[in-house]
Order: sequence, then structure tokens, then C-alpha cells
Amino acid sequence: MNNESNRQQSEEPNRKQTALNAVQKAADTLKRRYSDETPNASISFIPGTPEALRAHRNKKKQKKKADRHARTKVAFLRYSYYDIAFKYFVEQVLDADYVSLPEPTRRTLERGAQHSNDFVCAPFKHILGDYIEALERGADVLVQFAGPCRLGYYGELQESILRDMGYEFEMLNFATVTGKPLQKYLTICKEKVNPNISISQGVKQFLALFKMIECLDAYNDAYLAKAGFEVEHGSFKRARDDFFADMRTVTNLNQITAAYKQGMSVLRELPVQEPADPIRIGIVGEYFTAVDPHSNLNIEEKFIDMGVSLARYLNITHRNLHYNEENLRRGVGEYVSYDMGPTSTMTIAAAKSYAEKGFDGIVHLKSSGCTPEIDAMPVLQRISSDYHIPILYLSYDSQTSDTGLDTRLEAFYDMIAMRKAR
Amino acid sequence: MSPLDLKAQAEFADVQTVGIPRALLYFRYKTMWRTFFEELGRTVVVSDKSDRSTLEAGAHLSIDECCLASKLYMGHVASLLGKCDAIFAPSIDNLGNFKGFCTKFQALPDLVANTFIAQRPRIISCEIDRADSHIKEQEAYIDLGQKLGATRKESKKAYAAAVRAQANSDEKRARKQEDLLKRVSKMPEGERPLRILLAAHPYVVHDDFVGSPLVDMLKEMETCVLFADRHNHEKALEKSFEFSDTLPWIVNREIIGTILDLYDQIDGIVLVSAFPCGPDSMTNDALMRCIKGKPILSLTVDAQSGTAGLETRLESFVDILRYQQRGGYLHE
Repeated sequence: MNNESNRQQSEEPNRKQTALNAVQKAADTLKRRYSDETPNASISFIPGTPEALRAHRNKKKQKKKADRHARTKVAFLRYSYYDIAFKYFVEQVLDADYVSLPEPTRRTLERGAQHSNDFVCAPFKHILGDYIEALERGADVLVQFAGPCRLGYYGELQESILRDMGYEFEMLNFATVTGKPLQKYLTICKEKVNPNISISQGVKQFLALFKMIECLDAYNDAYLAKAGFEVEHGSFKRARDDFFADMRTVTNLNQITAAYKQGMSVLRELPVQEPADPIRIGIVGEYFTAVDPHSNLNIEEKFIDMGVSLARYLNITHRNLHYNEENLRRGVGEYVSYDMGPTSTMTIAAAKSYAEKGFDGIVHLKSSGCTPEIDAMPVLQRISSDYHIPILYLSYDSQTSDTGLDTRLEAFYDMIAMRKAR
Repeated sequence: MSPLDLKAQAEFADVQTVGIPRALLYFRYKTMWRTFFEELGRTVVVSDKSDRSTLEAGAHLSIDECCLASKLYMGHVASLLGKCDAIFAPSIDNLGNFKGFCTKFQALPDLVANTFIAQRPRIISCEIDRADSHIKEQEAYIDLGQKLGATRKESKKAYAAAVRAQANSDEKRARKQEDLLKRVSKMPEGERPLRILLAAHPYVVHDDFVGSPLVDMLKEMETCVLFADRHNHEKALEKSFEFSDTLPWIVNREIIGTILDLYDQIDGIVLVSAFPCGPDSMTNDALMRCIKGKPILSLTVDAQSGTAGLETRLESFVDILRYQQRGGYLHE
């Protein structure tokens, strides 16, 4: 019976129930595919001659008068608490000014979506919205990463869209140096941001940055595991905010370690009331949506409020700093033989490990249409039936609503709580 | 290496009939794959042409969010079960940086294995990932040949023959299209049929259920239909770097390169995308914004509606092109 309910999400909806579906869709946007209203054909004609995607890239920039005192203002995209690391990278490694972005609003995503193709994945829209806000806050340079899926093309396309909108800026797009020697990375940083980067200082601080990311992720793991059992409501969140605030002020490795120690000891001291056998849920999924609270509508906080202990193996530490895809894959050799793309191996490996550890449920998060994560789903279904562990599959688009999500999470929670009580 | 090792490697030596699904990259590599296996003394079985039932079977086996083309693929795999000793499903990641494929093509062997877990079909596979694991196409196929029990030398020979056969076939098609285009372009303007370039993944445009009806409709309207994949691939790939530095997908690169190459000889462009195609979701948007001066029709075919209703869209597009040919309202 339980298996039935957790598989229901992935099963083919009955096409004859279209009318009923329409009603459900209105009530629950999480289930809605992002295409329903979009016309399946469109004609465009723009007079002129073909242009390169970044036609303006070679346009002679008005040479700014070299001013040694004017520091370049650099902005990143919003990505969970990693703005702390981005800031450190800009200030300590690149020796430039960091453009802090406030909490995003619904308008952020609306503007991003408005200027994106409908079918493009949701992270693209979030990030485009972030960039628009960053440029309006005076950013000179936007930073984008390389990636093994659509992400690898984000930077160039976003740059082109923003230029078409009339913004002027530089793009530090690491996809342009994919596969090139490390030296090239330094060259574009110098070219786009600061020609006077100190190599010795930069390398030292870059290593400190790695340590910082490890500290942030380790702290967050501890937070996710225990926050659901706090005695005083909001005490964990306050402690974490304090820790993040501290981490925003550090300028070297010693301060990073000190802030981490301090933060962890405060967290450990917080009073908790932990049941003997708490409900434990593992979070797996796509790199952006599973990690970024604004993209997944704060799913972690929602579970914490229900008193759940959470684990999420996916973070920058595990996916980027200490990542050995092949070895991770060997551990799930009974399910897959090849890498299926960006985070799919990690999704499968983490799900299996949660199942083996006797977690009560797994939540799989992804943006709608994320191919590698869709391809991991048949494997997750097998893990679910092999280990008798319920999996909730959630797919987010730019119109996913909070209420739709709440209903699903509550139903899932009730189901696993009932299973546990039996 | 001991003879025992060699024996252990030849895990597919007993496979006589190799099944190839008529879907996805089959439309790019069909001659190569057939030649390779036949050179090694195997019989190749290709699944039947797609129809509504292929899609229905495939959709039933797939996660709802999968793209139309991948649902068709699963339908083709299902139809091959019991008709061959093993199914050929390679994991093709990339042929180098910025020459990648959709992640779907990396996942296929595992996707087939996990989807048909009850039937447990045998799967012949190889991995091609030059950018990250440094596995070139050639190495992957030679290795595969050895797994089929051939010596390294035999395997190398089979691969060479396969590549040659594919190149010949590609060249022949490209030349045929070039001749057609030349002939049509020479015709006086009043009599010349509209030259429409179908710019889409080969597995969309050449699929009998998805693309062929569109091609037939266009031909019925007496237009000259050109295919983006029937053009020199290397030339197109090179040209695409003028358009984009970081576009990750080789097939989309070839499509864009072909559009730029043939730009002066075409009247309109029809983009056809299998919903929801990840690479197309990004490149088609870029194309529509940047390929100025030519009318572009962008069609999305999904599993529910198929090609129904697209005829009127094609008709109105052709009307617009004709109107423009006569100096109509779209003229600058």
C-alpha cells in the first residue's frame, strides 16, 4: 500500500481523466507540466542579417580611464548560503568588491522567467532574475560556472539575453575556458576583474575558500540533523544566522576555523528534545533545486518544522571538492554501470545509503525537465521497492506554489509517520 | 596478458543477433553501427519504423517528464525484446569539449537496464567520453569489438570500415542535397519553389511518426525541403563556433552551422523540437533571436498531440514565405 502511494507520482496519468486533471492542476501546480498553455508553434521574423550569439562581445568598449582606486564590482548568482563563499572569493581571491544581493522576492523569479524561454530549466530563470538585480545594484562583472549539462550553456545565453535587454557589463564565464589549463582561468579573472591579482595571496586564499565551504557544509549537516528537535522554536535558525554572519566577516584561514569552532559549539549547546527513534528523511536531487531554499520553496525548513531529522549528502563539498564519481558509482554497481550526468550518480548513491541506514523516507528534488535527474528516477523506483522506502518525487518550475507543496509534504509526512508507528 | 584474461573480456562472444532501436542516435550512426557489427560477423536487427503504438508503448514505460524522442526509444527497445540476443545501447557522452551530447545518451544503457528490470535483456554497450575520461570513439569501439570476441586487429578493421561507410553515406546524402539546392536556386525567381530548411535533431526529423508527416506536408505544398543533417558535418561544426563559444552539444552545433552555411540559399527555417528537449530549449531560443533576416517557424511536438494540428501552422508559414517572396509585408 505504501509503495503504491509513493509511486503514484511517477506513474503515467490516465489520459481519459483530462478534465479531472485540469481541476487538480489548478489546485496543485507541483504536478503541472510547464507547457500546457504554451503554443506548440511560433513564427518569428527579425529583419537583418545573422548575428553571433554574443554579437556585442567584440564591440569596442569605451575605455574607462584607468583608475587605480576604482575596484571592480563583482556579482554571483544566488545559491543557498554559498553567497558567503562567493563573497570571500571576490574579496580575498580576486581582490575586488562583492555585490551582495538581498533576499530574492517573487519578482526576482518573475523577471527571470519573463526573459527566458519557457522550456528552459527553472535554475536558469532564477539566475537570470538574480543577474538583473545584481546589474541594477551596480555590478560590473557577473560570474557564471561551467557544467556538464545545460548549465554549461547558461553563461553565454544569459549574457546574450541581458545584452539584448540593454545592460552593459562583463561576464566572467568559466565555461569559456572548459578543458583549458589552469593558467587560462587566472587569465580571464585578470582580464575581466582585476589585472593585479596577487598569485601567492590568491592561491592561499583559494585554499582557505575550500576550507570555508567545508565548514559551511559541515555546519549545515549538523543543523539539518538536529534543528527539527529544538526546544525553543527558532533557536537553531538564529544560531545558524549568527554563524553565517560571522563567516561573512572572516578574512583568512585562521578566522574561518575559529568561526566554525565557535559556531559548532553554540549549535551543540542548544537544548534539543530528540525522540528515541526520530523520523529521518534524506534529500537527494539536482544540484541547484535540491540545495537552494529559494528554488525548492524552503523544503528543509518545512520538514524541520514538522520535527524531522534531515540529511542531504549533496553539497559543494561532496559534489565538487571531494568528488570521485567513478568510486561513488562502484558503490551502486547493481543499479548503474555508467555516469548518467551531473548529479545522477550522487542522487542514486545517496538514496541507496539513506535506504541502507534505515531512513524513513527520501525526497527527490529537481527542476522540471532536468534530464539527468529524470533518468535517475527509474533507479530510485528500484531502490524504493528493494529497500521498501517511500520516495517523494518533486519537480519544480517557475510557477510551483507553496500551498501545492505543503499539501504534498504533509501527506508524505503522515504516510511515513504511520508506517513508523506500525 | 594471459589467454584467460582475453577470454574473460569477450563477454559478448556468444551474441549472434544484435538489436538496434530505430531511435535517437540511430539516425546519426545507422550505417556505422550496422557495418561494424556485420564486419564482425553479427546479424543486425533494427526495430520497425515508429508509429503510434511505438510511442504508446514507450510512453507507458517512461517517466512522464521524459522527452518524446526518449519515449519512442523505449518503445523501440520493447519491440526488440525476444528478437535479438542483445540490444546495442552505447553510452555516448561527448567527442571532446563543446562536442557533447544530451545527457540522455550517456544514460541509455542504464535507462534500458532499469526500465526493463523484469525482462533483464542483455545490453551491449561502450562508453565514449573524450573530454573527461579521455575515451575516444575509436577506442570505445575497438574495445567493444574485442568484447564480441574479435582480436584487436579485426576490431580495428571493423571500426575503420564502419566509419568509412558512414562517411560515404553522409557524403552521398549531402551531395544529393547540394545538387538539388543548386538546381532549385538556378531557377528563375517566379518559378522557384520555396527552399525550406528543416533544422532539427535527425531522430526527430527522420522519425516516421514525428518528422516524416511534416516533411510530407511540406512537400505537398510544393516546397523544396532541405535537411540540416544532410550537410557536411565538419564544416557545419566549424562554422558553429562563429555563432557560439560554449554551446555544449555537437548536434545543435551542426544545425546552427548548417543554417549559417546555407543562409543565402534558403527562404525559411523550420525548427522542430521533441518536447521537452533540453538542448533545444536553449539553442532554439538563441537561434530565433540571432538568425535575423529569415522567417523561422518553431514547432514543438509532444507525446499527447503528436503532429496533429501542425499542418495549419505549416500552411500559414508557407503562405507567409510566399507572400514575402512576392515582396510582401515582411520585407524590410
